[in-house]
Amino acid sequence: MVSKQVKISGRQFMVLTTLFTIGSAILIIPSGMAFLAKQDAWIAALVGVGSGFLLVWIYNTIATLYPRMTLVEIIETLLGKWLGKTISLLFIVTLFLSGPTAVLYDVGNFLTTQIMPETPALSVNILFAVIVVMGARLGIETFARSAELLFPLFILLYISLVILIAPEIKLENVEPVLEAGIGPIWPAALSFISVLFLPHIVLLMIFPAVNRIDNARKAFFNGSMFGGLMMVLIVALAILVLGPDLTARSIFPSYFLAQKISIGNFLQRIEAIMAVMWFISLYFRATIYIYGIVLAIAQIFNLKDYRPLILPLGMILVVMSVVIYPNVPYQQMWDGTVWLSYTLSIGLLLPLLLLCIHVIRKLLSKKRTESKG
Amino acid sequence: MKQKAFLFLILTLGTLLTGCWNRKELNELAIAVGLGIDKQGDQFRVSVQVVDPGEVSTQKGASGRAPAILYTSEADTVFEAVRKITTLSPRKIYFPHLRICVISESMAMEGIAKALDFLSRDHEFRSDFYLVISKGASAEDTLKIMTPFDPIPADKLFSSLESSEKNWSPSTTVTLDQLMADLISEGKQPILTGLQIAGDQDSGETKKNVEKISPPTSLQFSGLAVFKKDRLIGWLNEIESKGYNFILGKVQSSVGFVSCPKGGKVALEIIRTQSAIKGSVNRGEPRININLQIEANVGEVECSDLDLTKVSTIYDLQKRSEEKIAGVIESAIKKAQKSYKADIFGFGEAIHRSNPKAWKSLKQNWDKEQFPELQVNIKVDFRIRRLGTTGSSFLNEIKK
Repeated sequence: MVSKQVKISGRQFMVLTTLFTIGSAILIIPSGMAFLAKQDAWIAALVGVGSGFLLVWIYNTIATLYPRMTLVEIIETLLGKWLGKTISLLFIVTLFLSGPTAVLYDVGNFLTTQIMPETPALSVNILFAVIVVMGARLGIETFARSAELLFPLFILLYISLVILIAPEIKLENVEPVLEAGIGPIWPAALSFISVLFLPHIVLLMIFPAVNRIDNARKAFFNGSMFGGLMMVLIVALAILVLGPDLTARSIFPSYFLAQKISIGNFLQRIEAIMAVMWFISLYFRATIYIYGIVLAIAQIFNLKDYRPLILPLGMILVVMSVVIYPNVPYQQMWDGTVWLSYTLSIGLLLPLLLLCIHVIRKLLSKKRTESKG
Repeated sequence: MKQKAFLFLILTLGTLLTGCWNRKELNELAIAVGLGIDKQGDQFRVSVQVVDPGEVSTQKGASGRAPAILYTSEADTVFEAVRKITTLSPRKIYFPHLRICVISESMAMEGIAKALDFLSRDHEFRSDFYLVISKGASAEDTLKIMTPFDPIPADKLFSSLESSEKNWSPSTTVTLDQLMADLISEGKQPILTGLQIAGDQDSGETKKNVEKISPPTSLQFSGLAVFKKDRLIGWLNEIESKGYNFILGKVQSSVGFVSCPKGGKVALEIIRTQSAIKGSVNRGEPRININLQIEANVGEVECSDLDLTKVSTIYDLQKRSEEKIAGVIESAIKKAQKSYKADIFGFGEAIHRSNPKAWKSLKQNWDKEQFPELQVNIKVDFRIRRLGTTGSSFLNEIKK
């Protein structure tokens, strides 16, 4: 199978993980978190990174127990051929409908709301989907390398956003700290990990492509934490500069943040340049999703090559991205309820289930060998 | 190879398509710099001041047209009125370069909130323009005045609001997001700078106004408009407005005088201020401490017996200044507490920050009962650093 021959380095995997973590979260997460936790959203984000630590540890454990195996292969080994394939298929189909389609929806929605209101979202989505399809078709080695190339640009934009917006910070925006106690922190932290860390389960599809497993573990962990902490800073900046009310009220707080940059009346109106940042992260999130999904389908149906699947899937993706959410409040409601419970089941319950079955199998086989001996 | 060529073709075509879709060429846009909102009965009357680019460019001699054009239309909602302007204007109005939004006093008395949602929702509006209230005139009329020096009136308003805030401090710049934050906040009432027409309205609208060395009509910022929720309830005069800016630490530079011990005056130039508002709650009693640090230079001496070479004179001046500024601040607080019962300083927010638990019960009746009775301690620390380019004034030695 193709996936067995390709190899990416640990560094490339880390860059991919970071970009996947930030993904669409940079656009949408500050608003929802400020709505739930008000001025304490940054604390909730920190709590989220803490729980992300545990989640990545679980994923790493599964990946090390079954080295050189993708998630689909692990499920099949543990649950048997038919049950395993059924669960994998169910997982992949639902993931396709809610993962990459939502990312593409975010791209179109952002552009048509903020920058080009008269352009139909469909045409934006087609253009974006074309490069996603190209990336996935060329394979993980190619887009991992392009991620490595674009990552410095991403970091440069990120750092300049942080530095340029710093003069606008008003420290009193985060006060009083923990006004409503720690109660509202939990739902906000949950929404943070549901977008940032729970979808990481799909990264187990590309985990075996890393050339050395100890490198992969480290890269997975570092990439997630790096991306998570970068998001904590974005959430904190949104609260510090815009205040909790405005952050919760605006649909794209990061863009609003970039609009607020004004240094000495000449370094201003650079928000469109800042938007390049999330185009990079959204692109890699969508591409990793699609690559993981087509690889999974190929493995479920024992296909030799995953490539023929990409173009049709890309077409479905474009159509789905336009029809999946009829309007913006629907999308916000979906993200807060359905997406949350869905990612909890695939990102937390599924790996825990796999771990349990692994332990039970081990105990059973031990007994068998003992009774034989 | 064929496949690749096909894909390439589709890609290039696609890029061209989206590029043209939403294009906005400069010659198709009317760049709005000023926006005025009035209310006429139930309808909004929206005036938009757009730049006439041919008239502003420096290369060509002026052809006698006005540098900016004002379009006005009426409709049930602000957005409708803005779009209705296309029936008057040859081009579509383009808002990202808006500098100033004027809201009329009469409309502000009925409430401004409804007009603001459009400004925050439409993607063309950025949050870097300032909002002001037109005092004693409609917003439309204030935008009609021709201004010398800076031919585009909205540009003049923008820069003169910024420079008066920096150098004299009776006005304050408020952007849309600040205003909305104040409107939402339970512990702070909004405030906006007032704009008035000084002189005769009619002659200000003609070109004559910019042809004379001393223009008969000009636009002037004066005082701050005090709001309760989104309704204008009154004005602060110039001194009280300065007091307001002192409390919030917004004074970057200003000039004030103190009297000399034996008559006459000394003007002091404030070069730096820093304020800290601290709230506390003692046995259910809220209390505010304002700590103000001011640095100043001696700017002008108009008395003949002041010996500036002595340190004690400086200390004496410092003490007088502290008393005077505390008085200015007190007058602003008193006006807000007694006449308007509106917490424009954000004292409620300071209490909220320091004691969120007590604030929960205090906020119920904050503006009505708690704020008017609030005890405010003012501590001013005034430091005179330099004397300018001369020592003691020559007035001391002048022939008697």
